[in-house]
Amino acid sequence: ASEAFERQHKRRKRDWMKLIYRSTLTPEQIVRGETEQEARIEDDDEDELFKFKSKDQMGTDEVLDQTKEPLSKEALAEWDDEEMLDSIRHLFITGGDTAQGDE
Amino acid sequence: MSAPRPTVLKYSGHEHLRTRLAMSLLSGKPLRVDNIRPDDKNPGLRDYEASLLRLLEKLSNGTVIEISYTGTAFLLKPGVLNGGRVEHDCATSRAVGYYLEPILMLAPFCKKPLELTLRGVTSDALDLSVDTIRTVSLPHLQLFGVSDGLEFKIKKRGAPPLGGGEVQLFCPVVKQVTSLNFVDPGRIKRIRGIAHAVRVSPQFSSRMIDAARGLLNRYVPDLYLYSDVYKGDESGKSPGYGLTLLAESTTGALYGAEALSEPGLPPEDVAQNAARALLSDVRAGGCIDRAHQSMVLVLMVLGSEDIARARMGPLSPRAIQTLRDIRDFWGTSFKVVPVDGDDGDGQLLLSCFGVGFLNSNRTLA
Repeated sequence: ASEAFERQHKRRKRDWMKLIYRSTLTPEQIVRGETEQEARIEDDDEDELFKFKSKDQMGTDEVLDQTKEPLSKEALAEWDDEEMLDSIRHLFITGGDTAQGDE
Repeated sequence: MSAPRPTVLKYSGHEHLRTRLAMSLLSGKPLRVDNIRPDDKNPGLRDYEASLLRLLEKLSNGTVIEISYTGTAFLLKPGVLNGGRVEHDCATSRAVGYYLEPILMLAPFCKKPLELTLRGVTSDALDLSVDTIRTVSLPHLQLFGVSDGLEFKIKKRGAPPLGGGEVQLFCPVVKQVTSLNFVDPGRIKRIRGIAHAVRVSPQFSSRMIDAARGLLNRYVPDLYLYSDVYKGDESGKSPGYGLTLLAESTTGALYGAEALSEPGLPPEDVAQNAARALLSDVRAGGCIDRAHQSMVLVLMVLGSEDIARARMGPLSPRAIQTLRDIRDFWGTSFKVVPVDGDDGDGQLLLSCFGVGFLNSNRTLA
C-alpha cells in the first residue's frame, strides 16, 4: 500500500506542462507515467545505415485513430470487489460525507 | 493570390488524423500528412479515411485535397465551411461516430446550419456509438453555447458489419463559442441508460437492463434504463446489441460509458462491462467525459478572448496530443495544474486564453 501511495505521490508531483509541451515523450508514455530518462534507455538504436523493419511493426495490429478506449477486462475486474464498489459512494448524492474520510 | 501563402502544417502518420483535419478547417491552415502506413501490407489511406475526406469536401466550399499516388500522403487546403444539407454514405469499416467526432467541432462554425444525414454502421466496438453522441457529445457542445436547434436523430440503427443505419445531425451556427468555466464536478445525481438490440431477440435489451441495474442500483435511486426498440427496416442489416450508460452530476458534468455485443458474450456481461466502465469514469472524476476531452479542448481555445477553465480527470493520450496540436495551429498553450485537495486525486485543472475565434462564414440574417 505504501508503494502505491509513493507512486501516487510521484504522479501528483509531475509537471504536466513540461511533459506535454517540452518533452519528446509520446502521449502514451506520458499517460503510463514514464519519465524522459526511462524512455531514453529504451531507444538506444544501433547506428546502422539501413534498418530492418521488425516483423511486428508490419503486422496488422495497427494503432487506430479512435476516441473510444477499448474496455480492458482486467481493469474492469477490480469492480468485482464490494469494497471497491463502496469506495466511490461519496461521489454520488446519496453517499453522504462519511465516505470521504476513510482512506 | 495577393494573400501570403499560409504555412503548411506537416504531420506524420494516420493517428490523430481527425482532430488535425478539424483544426485545419477551423484555422484555415493547410495540412500535410505524410507517412500514412508506409510499411503496412496495405499502405496508405484506408477506405474510411478517404470517406471522411470526401465528407469534409462536401461540407465545405473550395477545399482542395491532393492525395499522393500511393495514398501515403495528402495535402488539404481548407476552404470555407459551408454546412447546409449534406448527405453521406459512410464506409462501413467504421461507425458513424468516427465521422461525427470531427464534424461536431466544425458544425457550429459553418456558413449555414448543418443538416447532416449519415448512413452506415451506427455503433461498433471502435467508435462512439450514436447513443453516446446524442446523450454525451451534444451536451458537451451545449457547454459552449451551441444549443438552439441542436438535435440528433437516430432514424435507423445498423450494426456491423453491414450497417444500414441512418442518423441525422442538426446543428445551428454560432458567431462565437462561449468561454467554458467548469471546475465543479459535483456529485452524481442520476444515471440513465439506453439498451438497444437489433435483429436479435428483444429480450436481450431487458436482460442487459436487469444486469446493469443490479450493479448500479446501490448508488442512486434515480436510475432509469430504457430499451430502445427498432423494428423491421429500421434495425439495419446485421444483428447486434449494446448498452450505453451515462451518469449526470448535480453541476451537469456527464460521464458516458458503453459496451457492445461481441460474439459469444451474453447480454449480462455486456451490461456488466458497461456499468463497470461507467464506475471507472465516475471515479476518474473531472467535469468532462474522458472521450470528449479533445473536443472540449479545441472548443476552449476557440472561445472568446477570456480565460477558459475546465477540470478534467486524467488526460487521455488523445487529449495530450490534441494539446500539442492546438499549439501548432493556434500557438496557444494550456496551463495544466493538478487539482488541490483530497478529492482531486489525479485530476487536472486546464486553463487557456481563448483566441476569440469568430465565425466569419456565418451568413448575416
